[in-house]
Amino acid sequence: MNLILSKLKEVVLSVLPITLIVVLLNFTLTPLETPYFIRFLIAAALIIIGLTVFLLGVDLGITPIGVDLGQSVAKSNRIWMVALAGILLGFFINIAEPDLHVLAGQVQSVTSALISKQLILIVVSVGIAVMLSLGLIRIVKYVPLNIMFTVLYAIIFFLAFFTTPEFLAISFDASGATTGALTTPFMLALALGVSRLKKDSKASEIDSFGLVGLASSGAIISVMVMSIISKPEGVAAAVATDEASTNSILLPFIQMLPTIAWEIALALMPIVIIFLISRKFSLKMSKKSFIKVLFGLIMTFTGLVIFLLGVNAGFMKVGNIVGFKFASMDSGLYVILAGFILGMVTIIAEPAVSILTHQIEDVTSGYVKRKVVMVFLALGVALAVALSIVRIVVPEIQLWHFLLPGYLLSIVMSFFTPKLFVGIAFDSGGVASGPMAATFILAFAQGAAEATESANVLIDGFGIIAMIAMTPLIALQILGFIFKIKSKKRG
Amino acid sequence: MNDIAEEINIELIYVIVNHGFGSRIVKAAKRDGIKGSTIAYARGTAHKKFLDYLGLSDIRKEIVFLLADKETAFRAMEDLNRDFCFDKPNHGIAFTTSVCKVSGTKNIVCNKKSERGAESVMFNLITIIVDKGKGEEVVAAAEKSGSRGATILNARGSGIHETAKLFSMEIAPEKEIVLILSECGITDEIVNSISSSLKMNEPGNGIIYVQNVNTAYGVR
Repeated sequence: MNLILSKLKEVVLSVLPITLIVVLLNFTLTPLETPYFIRFLIAAALIIIGLTVFLLGVDLGITPIGVDLGQSVAKSNRIWMVALAGILLGFFINIAEPDLHVLAGQVQSVTSALISKQLILIVVSVGIAVMLSLGLIRIVKYVPLNIMFTVLYAIIFFLAFFTTPEFLAISFDASGATTGALTTPFMLALALGVSRLKKDSKASEIDSFGLVGLASSGAIISVMVMSIISKPEGVAAAVATDEASTNSILLPFIQMLPTIAWEIALALMPIVIIFLISRKFSLKMSKKSFIKVLFGLIMTFTGLVIFLLGVNAGFMKVGNIVGFKFASMDSGLYVILAGFILGMVTIIAEPAVSILTHQIEDVTSGYVKRKVVMVFLALGVALAVALSIVRIVVPEIQLWHFLLPGYLLSIVMSFFTPKLFVGIAFDSGGVASGPMAATFILAFAQGAAEATESANVLIDGFGIIAMIAMTPLIALQILGFIFKIKSKKRG
Repeated sequence: MNDIAEEINIELIYVIVNHGFGSRIVKAAKRDGIKGSTIAYARGTAHKKFLDYLGLSDIRKEIVFLLADKETAFRAMEDLNRDFCFDKPNHGIAFTTSVCKVSGTKNIVCNKKSERGAESVMFNLITIIVDKGKGEEVVAAAEKSGSRGATILNARGSGIHETAKLFSMEIAPEKEIVLILSECGITDEIVNSISSSLKMNEPGNGIIYVQNVNTAYGVR
């Protein structure tokens, strides 16, 4: 019981802040209509239950599969095996990722179907697969992470010159879309498995991180390349209209259940298939641990469905309303401040953040504590949301005004921060832009954009995920600096 | 080698507690005058059949290693027991074992070697705690003087030379614990070799201690 209770406690502590703030707002600044408010409370309960079950399931199912796969791939001792495994795993896991399907749908509608959904799915999956493969080879071949990121972001900056502003935002958003709730823990575990075999313990620790960051840059590059090649004429302003709002409290939950369950089943499928195949050929696993993993997978599925149900049916609309109401106030300052606070509390409830911070604590045997990472991550994301809102309120500011200096700074920093933190920082960039950010924060920003006359919902709506993926790079590298200075020996 | 302790006057305290309590134990132990500490992660099980089957019984634990002279150690044990109630179920366990040699710290002073059942003891357990990444060096040095194998654990810990604070939280640098089982005859040689190649005499470079092993299987 102990394990379940401690997980539940951890989840309650991470979901409570955002719930309390919305409840507080409901009674003070931004009252919600009763059905929305009740739905929000039900959603909060669902999120707590779902997240607890999901995180337990990931520990039992996804992580062991990833680590075992990583280890057996590295043990093969053949570079082409590592490369091939990276390509195959990267492609099949990402093509089933629900977030990527959403992104692909958006791009299709934005370009008036000039770029088809299937094409985007395949191109982005290939991009990620190539990066995942390179990332695994990097671990085996000892290529420094900061060198890889420097080269990759140099390519991205070069491509950015030829990309239209709309597609710039979309391609950076793609980096967030690729690192969904299922793929992130799997990639983290894969890197852990490959690097764990290293005899040099320092290198093994450092190389446990960074793979997620590399995979996201693959997504950015592939979307940019695609937009340059296909040259979309312009951006159509068709944005998906909101679903008809009902006053029924439970209806949205029931309506969304089949879609979400199907999406998650689809996303989980490649992992299950890969697991079953590899068990046949290479993995040695007792019957008991096999059942454990299967049970973990079932828990992962159930938990994630419940969690996403809560987020999509309850949180999203509330985020939208709160954003709209704050932006309608007479001073822009209110909405910026609200963005800061909501960004801070939302990121704490993000599933992958919990998984990453636990892994950091485990790998470093408690040297880098979860809480410190959480604090810096929360501050980073808070700043990202606040700056995104500034961009909505002040039309003169463009997305690249933030992204260019931000990424330049983080690349420069990566040469001075301890290597461990470079990997952690770039991973957390991908981790921060998970389902919570993609629903609640995005809805909040879109609500704010709707209420601001000068803002274009479409253009300003994109790019927020990009910001959320960028600021943790800086925040966590700053943390790395602090650790470097503080842990110096005083003889 | 002047600070190699040569009397069984030193105790090694093990405290096994639930994850998260390790740092608190160390804090409490510091009040009693214990200067250095090392914490390693571990897993324990709770013995509940159903949950065990589903794999939900694994509980994350922390093992705290504390080294001190007998008097301080027993005082610390009593205080820790009072503060953390080890008598109650699920509050963790604590025990001490004796140590016959220490090197690498100036805080523990001892005087004479005593022959305690020299015939019955055939093996020694040498434990070396060094900064992360140096474990391999330790193993290499030990192998040079005849050691046949070693086990490395990841841990975090701090001595008096290296505590830092980040906001209100203490940062304990990462360490590696190397365990080596050696025949009594070559223990000294191994310890000396490690000690000289890692400059254990200088402060802040790590610690070695040797314990007697009563029975051992699988070592040749």
